[in-house]
Amino acid sequence: MAYTTFNRQINDQMKEPMFFGNPVNVSRYDQQKYGIFEKLIEKQLSFFWRPEEVDVSKDRIDYQNLPDHEKHIFISNLKYQTLLDSVQGRSPNVAFLPIVSLPELETWIETWAFSETIHSRSYTHIVRNISAEPHKVFDDIMLNEKILERAEDVTRYYDDLIDGINLYQRCGEGTHSINGETHSISLYELKRRLYLCVMSVNVLEAIRFYVSFACSFAFAERELMEGNAKIIRLIARDEALHLTGTQHMLNIMAAGDDDADMAKIAKECEEEAYAIFRKAAEQEKDWAEYLFKDGSMIGLNKDILCQYVEYITNSRMQAIGMKAIFSTTQNPIPWINTWLVSDNVQVAPQEAEISSYLVGQIDNEVDGGDFGDFDL
Amino acid sequence: MPGVKLSNGVVINFDGSARTLLDALERKQLEVNFHCREGYCGACRCKLVSGEVSYINEPLAFVRKGEFLPCCSVPVTDIEIEIP
Repeated sequence: MAYTTFNRQINDQMKEPMFFGNPVNVSRYDQQKYGIFEKLIEKQLSFFWRPEEVDVSKDRIDYQNLPDHEKHIFISNLKYQTLLDSVQGRSPNVAFLPIVSLPELETWIETWAFSETIHSRSYTHIVRNISAEPHKVFDDIMLNEKILERAEDVTRYYDDLIDGINLYQRCGEGTHSINGETHSISLYELKRRLYLCVMSVNVLEAIRFYVSFACSFAFAERELMEGNAKIIRLIARDEALHLTGTQHMLNIMAAGDDDADMAKIAKECEEEAYAIFRKAAEQEKDWAEYLFKDGSMIGLNKDILCQYVEYITNSRMQAIGMKAIFSTTQNPIPWINTWLVSDNVQVAPQEAEISSYLVGQIDNEVDGGDFGDFDL
Repeated sequence: MPGVKLSNGVVINFDGSARTLLDALERKQLEVNFHCREGYCGACRCKLVSGEVSYINEPLAFVRKGEFLPCCSVPVTDIEIEIP
């Protein structure tokens, strides 16, 4: 079925599946098939923040005083975060919007991806501050083998899905000859690619991001790079919401009431889902090795970070009804939790530009008496 | 005063001095995983073996049958729980 930006077909949106039904026509939020996505949108909007609100100027001095191996840990971690958000800032839109069928889910995807673009902008804010040559940091992302290895797995499932959607929306189901090459696509295969893609996004947001957060907060535990940690804390708060979103999608798919095919696919892909988690955990451990190749830092080393990878992988798998694959049951870095508490995020309102605080400055209560001394 | 029974047999009385079940468990030095403490991340998910809890604010995180989030709930009846 070809995509249309405003589907003229009169349909009952409450009866559409999440994906691969009719394209959305009216963006309406008076009714929702899945109220959770509306609530996630509201929550994400209430979280809105801008990188410039956070003062990172002290970080410059901290960074200059770091020993070289810690500079490597900090900047490599930041480059990896930049890669992840580059992908997440665009891919949910490109991959999911052409196939989504519910207005609340469509807007959730847009809201979600938009907040990732804020994260990308905050990395520039951080890098500009700590380096006189920010371009060198960003240029290296495209040259750094260790980062590019990660990019491959982070993007593969998105690209497979997008490629399939392009073919399906142009030519429909079947085998097609395009520029002398033969391509086949079926709706069922597309749904399979969608399921695996959402699974891999969940892994990206639930595991990969958190491993990088651990590194950012490890500096701040020593009262170093605290501006950066403040920003990462805001990012982490958003990510918690995003991964709740993908967990809901996965669970709705697996339940099968939304689309019976998806439940079947969830079962068929079980082994592949385990493989996605296992591979991501292995890659994150390799990454830990690269980060700490020249030495550890106080509070965090390769082994501790690897244990955390295992711990967080187990916990994320259990959240979507899978079985734990590692024997680690204890969080090796319990101090990370206090950095992830949401009500610790907002400091004194007068110190940062918090929208709720500014909105509160305007007295919206007006009654007739307010115009008492008005003469016309 | 509802009691909270843990899988090791220990019973904690929820006497209202703690705001949430998570607070009550932490006061007894029990280690429960947590992140947001507001019900949207789901990190504190525990098993609810028996009894009933009510939510102070409705969680956004996915909570499957037989699970609950201690960070934003209080017990309504005596409950039996399992901390992962």
